[in-house]
Amino acid sequence: MRGRWLTFRQSVSRWGTRLKGGPSWLRSSLGARLWLSACNQVGANTRTFWRPNIENRGRIIIGANVRLNSHWAPIELVSGPDGVIDIGDRVYINYGSIISAQLRVRIGSNVMIGNYCIVADTEIPGIGDPPGKPSIAPRQIEIGDGAWLAARVTVLPGSRIGAGAVIAAGSIVAGDIAPGDLAGGIPARTLRAR
Amino acid sequence: MTSRDSWNAVRARRWLRKCAAVGEGLRLDGRPTVEYYGGRIRIGSRLHLASRPVASHLAVGPGALLDIGNDVSIGCGAAIAAFQHVQIGDGTRVGPFVIIMDTSFHGSPGDQSLQHNCRPVMIGAGCLIGTRVTITRGATIGDGAEILAGSVVSSAIPPGVCAAGARARIIGRAGDPASRWDSAAAVLPNMLMASLGLDSPPDLDSGPIPPHLWTNAGIGAVLGAVHNRFGVELDPAAVREIRSFADIAAAIQRVLWEH
Repeated sequence: MRGRWLTFRQSVSRWGTRLKGGPSWLRSSLGARLWLSACNQVGANTRTFWRPNIENRGRIIIGANVRLNSHWAPIELVSGPDGVIDIGDRVYINYGSIISAQLRVRIGSNVMIGNYCIVADTEIPGIGDPPGKPSIAPRQIEIGDGAWLAARVTVLPGSRIGAGAVIAAGSIVAGDIAPGDLAGGIPARTLRAR
Repeated sequence: MTSRDSWNAVRARRWLRKCAAVGEGLRLDGRPTVEYYGGRIRIGSRLHLASRPVASHLAVGPGALLDIGNDVSIGCGAAIAAFQHVQIGDGTRVGPFVIIMDTSFHGSPGDQSLQHNCRPVMIGAGCLIGTRVTITRGATIGDGAEILAGSVVSSAIPPGVCAAGARARIIGRAGDPASRWDSAAAVLPNMLMASLGLDSPPDLDSGPIPPHLWTNAGIGAVLGAVHNRFGVELDPAAVREIRSFADIAAAIQRVLWEH
């Protein structure tokens, strides 16, 4: 029964890509109620602008005061059957970003994520493999509090980004970035240490 | 199979109805953009093609063939253009925002002059193509090869290797845990460029190190950079045995393995 009810709620959210009319604060908070209904937990005063795509087959937890901007390209949050996406408080995610977890992706508080970023703990983000195919083991991703990912950053499986680190636009992050560093390039290296 | 799955299957068939052949078990997330300019698209069984949040894009020029094997999965935002022949082998997995083109342009169709610039792209079976990889015309990727995220492939990659970089170079074996973007072979060219004051990142396979670079000052700079990046010291006996840039990568890898 529960499965059918969820399917119905998801189909409600498929009616349109955004709400129209009314003041924007009302629109964005009502939109969050409607479009984040597939998430397991959503904090107070979290808002969405236009409609994100949520595919929750595991667990998605979103903190308070989060802003999800899906204006020009939707944000995609995907969790596989064993996947956990844990987003902290006051996070801002810009449009076109993909966050995909087959194992665990943790994003701390006050993180800013630029447009078209990819944060995925498997090599190929999105809902996993066709059945009966060996999968590549996911490795979990941690992004520390107050980190800032500029536009088009790719965070590869197994990466850890320290608190307050800044990743320059277009970088590919593999491995660890120390807290507070400014890192960039392919693969990302420290350009300026704290 | 729920009603939604069957509805998705119906829609997928409709979106790809102009393809020359489509196998069973098609799985499309969102609607891809498919442009036919008189070519053929052949799709094997169980293709998974994502078009969310950004639409993927398949284009086939006049007389061209885009051949996608069985069990292929392609991420969102992919741009695949075939103006002569693009082949993707069975079981290959392609990441999001990948560009695969067998022509040097992407734009106005029907311009016959473009045909001259085409060289076929062949991607083998069981390959792993990472996020935001660009595969340009004439590229050949062997079976089971792995291309790391952000690389540009324009030449032949042999089977079973792992390649990375803009103009992808071989950095190890596919599936090896050491073959990653943060491995010694991947990081070393840029590190050598910085510490030896070169104009461009050296090719690791370029043979012996020129003696005017490998002076005491040069060795010291490289060892310092290695210590900063990897946190390891190379012992003097290993340093004396280094003849080529590839030896440096091998020495670092050996020390890291011992840790």
